[in-house]
Amino acid sequence: MKFSEVDVAVIGSGPAGMAAAIKAREEGAEHVLILERQEQLGGLLHQCVHSGFGLLYFGQDLTGPEYAHRFIEKVRDLGIEILLETMVTQLSGDRKLTAINRYEGMIHLHPKSVVLAMGCRERSRGQLSIPGTRPAGIFTAGTAQRLVNVEGFIPGKKVVILGSGDIGMIMARRLTLEGVEVKAVIEILPYVGGLIRNEVQCLHDFDIPLLLEHTVTQIHGEQRVEAVTIAKVDKHKRPIDGTEQVVECDTLLLSVGLIPENELSRMAGITLDPLIGGPLVDERRETSVPGVFAGGNVVHVHDIVDDVSWEAEIAGSWAAKFSQKGDLERKEKITLKPGRNIRSIVPQTISGQSDVTFYIRVKEMEEKVQLKVGDLYQRSFRVAKPSEMIKVDLPVKELKKLDGRESELNVECEKGE
Amino acid sequence: MAQMETEVLIIGGGVLGAVVARELSHYKVDVILVEKEADFGWGSTKTNMCIVCQGGDTLEFRPEYHRSKLVWESMPLMEPLCRELDVPFKRVGELALIRNNEEFSKFQKLKSKAEKLGLTGHQFIDQDNLRQMEPNVTREAIAALYDPNIAIVDPVRLTIALIENASQNGVKVMRETEVLNISQKVNQFEVETNRGSIQCRFIVNAAGTSVEKIARLVNSDDFVLYPIKGYVGILDKNLGDLIKHEIHMRPDAPGQMNILTPSVHGNLFFGTTMQPARRGDYSTTRRIAQIGFENVRKIIPDLSEKDIIHSFAGYLMFRNWEVGWHECVVQASRKVPRLISICIGYPGVSAAPATGREVVELLRREGLKLEANSKFNPIRKASSVFNQLSNEQQKELISKDSRYGHVVCRCETVTEGEVVAAVHSEATTLDGIKFRTRAGMGRCQGGFCTPRVVNILSRELGLPEEKITKKGRDSRLLLYKTKQLLGEER
Repeated sequence: MKFSEVDVAVIGSGPAGMAAAIKAREEGAEHVLILERQEQLGGLLHQCVHSGFGLLYFGQDLTGPEYAHRFIEKVRDLGIEILLETMVTQLSGDRKLTAINRYEGMIHLHPKSVVLAMGCRERSRGQLSIPGTRPAGIFTAGTAQRLVNVEGFIPGKKVVILGSGDIGMIMARRLTLEGVEVKAVIEILPYVGGLIRNEVQCLHDFDIPLLLEHTVTQIHGEQRVEAVTIAKVDKHKRPIDGTEQVVECDTLLLSVGLIPENELSRMAGITLDPLIGGPLVDERRETSVPGVFAGGNVVHVHDIVDDVSWEAEIAGSWAAKFSQKGDLERKEKITLKPGRNIRSIVPQTISGQSDVTFYIRVKEMEEKVQLKVGDLYQRSFRVAKPSEMIKVDLPVKELKKLDGRESELNVECEKGE
Repeated sequence: MAQMETEVLIIGGGVLGAVVARELSHYKVDVILVEKEADFGWGSTKTNMCIVCQGGDTLEFRPEYHRSKLVWESMPLMEPLCRELDVPFKRVGELALIRNNEEFSKFQKLKSKAEKLGLTGHQFIDQDNLRQMEPNVTREAIAALYDPNIAIVDPVRLTIALIENASQNGVKVMRETEVLNISQKVNQFEVETNRGSIQCRFIVNAAGTSVEKIARLVNSDDFVLYPIKGYVGILDKNLGDLIKHEIHMRPDAPGQMNILTPSVHGNLFFGTTMQPARRGDYSTTRRIAQIGFENVRKIIPDLSEKDIIHSFAGYLMFRNWEVGWHECVVQASRKVPRLISICIGYPGVSAAPATGREVVELLRREGLKLEANSKFNPIRKASSVFNQLSNEQQKELISKDSRYGHVVCRCETVTEGEVVAAVHSEATTLDGIKFRTRAGMGRCQGGFCTPRVVNILSRELGLPEEKITKKGRDSRLLLYKTKQLLGEER
């Protein structure tokens, strides 16, 4: 392949990148190129050996590698070009891209359009400023997952997991199956951070203690983790004096949130959503830089992989159109405004001229609420939780009611049924 | 157990031990340096704020103290030293913020005191100019005292460079070597370590927080030091442009300091809160972290706690803490001949170059014969830092060694080539790789690169992965293989 002829370059080959590349190719883009920094396509799916993937997308319960495999086959069948072990080091606002690998050395590309699909990364101990010493034995749950499932190592024998994100709960089960004693999963909120199905299948089914409204207040041990102090927290998430207890362990895993990975977006001058950290996008998943699209966890962290792939397909499809036409028709934009108890809405702007699916997260758990999108949509919820993304489909005929009069659309979660 | 002999034994491989080793390698002298940790600069050196000052910039400045003299004598030496050793050095200048007339008059007195001593460059900056120089600092600052001389370095890289250059010139260095006992013989010392005994005629005690402990092994008790704990936080690189100068603010509570500074690698460091604590306890607490953050927010009000990527505690050894001010220890023992103890307290890195020279002079006075080493080569070349190179240089490097085309740490763009080079320049641990290459120092804090670096360490050292440690001793990272625990009784 001549690198000068790339129509759509996709950065990343996880569930977002592959879906975007396939869609772009299917929509007629001739030269689609995936740049992946690991040794194989699939991103983090390879370390997710548990099931629960593809229930919606394929109507089947698959493991991560199986889910990846279906996309990999399609990528191959469609003749999509692939560069593995290749790290994109630079992306400019005019879509010039520099990447390196050990085979070609340095690669310069100027694709007609770009899809960002770099996914997300885990929050670390440093970002939480967890007090205590700095011994070996503190890992993020995702790193531990790679160590166990890909590298073949068990970090330790007695494990405490801080945070009840999905990877944390899945690792609690995975380690239990390896003969590790998982002492507890500790969650600062009054409810789990991940999916209910993971709470049931990973924690309850294996009798792993779940301590809600607790946190780790101190890490002990000079060389290797020896124990952690945990304490109950008040409603402001502050540890309550006198509730501390010391839990002996040799390992602390952290599953305390994911952050979209946007170094390259920043480099290209793309405007990011200050709250969720991903690029601001319209319904086509185009970022503030024309011709650069984004989909999946790089935009906002999803609950399930199926949504990641679907969202990235939107980006791939419009990236293909952009590469063919050289630009897209620009329309008046309507900005979505997060109102009462709304943390985030994706996309942040829409044209009002086509069907759109909104992905919405609330700020805090609330019972008996009504979600409203302007005067166009409302739905009651018995309970709305930040850990469960709400999807709202608005067909174009509803949006047409706005009739170009509104430049803003308020989204809010009102109390009451 | 091995039996070794040398003329001078340096105990401690922090910046001070390293600078003495390098200074001594100018001469034909047998020198061994021992360090108890797995790598160099892991005590107070690595928790240093990275600032090189000339004194006269903070209100605590006392020209009559020996420590102050070492600092201002070191200032002109530091830049050429960094150039010879190929370590980053950047002159950023300092702004000491002034919030009211009382502070202003105190800084006026300080400025004239500094000028009398011949320290140059201090000037007052009015509010408008301050806004131009630093638009993001608090509006409460009505003026600032500017010191253009202040610079920043990477203290651990400086220490490693000093050690490497000293070894190039003949100094023998031993890591993971802890001094257990010292006995005095006629005209010499017998130093017992976990790796055998070392006979030497002179001892330079640069053992950092253990400097008193080492002195007491030979019944030398000329000084008392108080371990004072400080707290340092590191902010995300995205905020690297928030300030250009090192910023100082007068602390509002006693026993605290308040500094925000750029670093040579692009992150901002903030440091705060000094309090007496139990030696060797490097833990942070929720309270100290809160105070640290509240203090830095007085300098830049709109910082968020989410911007912190890492934080840690370190020690400064203060002499005369009880009278509210401290002096350094750079002296020959009054009781024991041929024993020199050194401990700066703070600012240890700033004072290092002149301290190295002074220790050599003290050794000469104690009877060490100094004959110039005609083969001394002052130049040490650092290995390539991939993300600091131009595209052309990167291309060339990858074509020479394809391992430079494989990125191991995504946050800091550190390549396999650099990690391998670090192993070959004797890094044996995850933290060793971190301080030498920055792999794991970015915003994901090793989440991505840890398994990869462990693989490379294992391959290059010829050790199984389960033997690889974070920082030596019992800090193994991966305790078992999968399936190993199955069938074992709980």
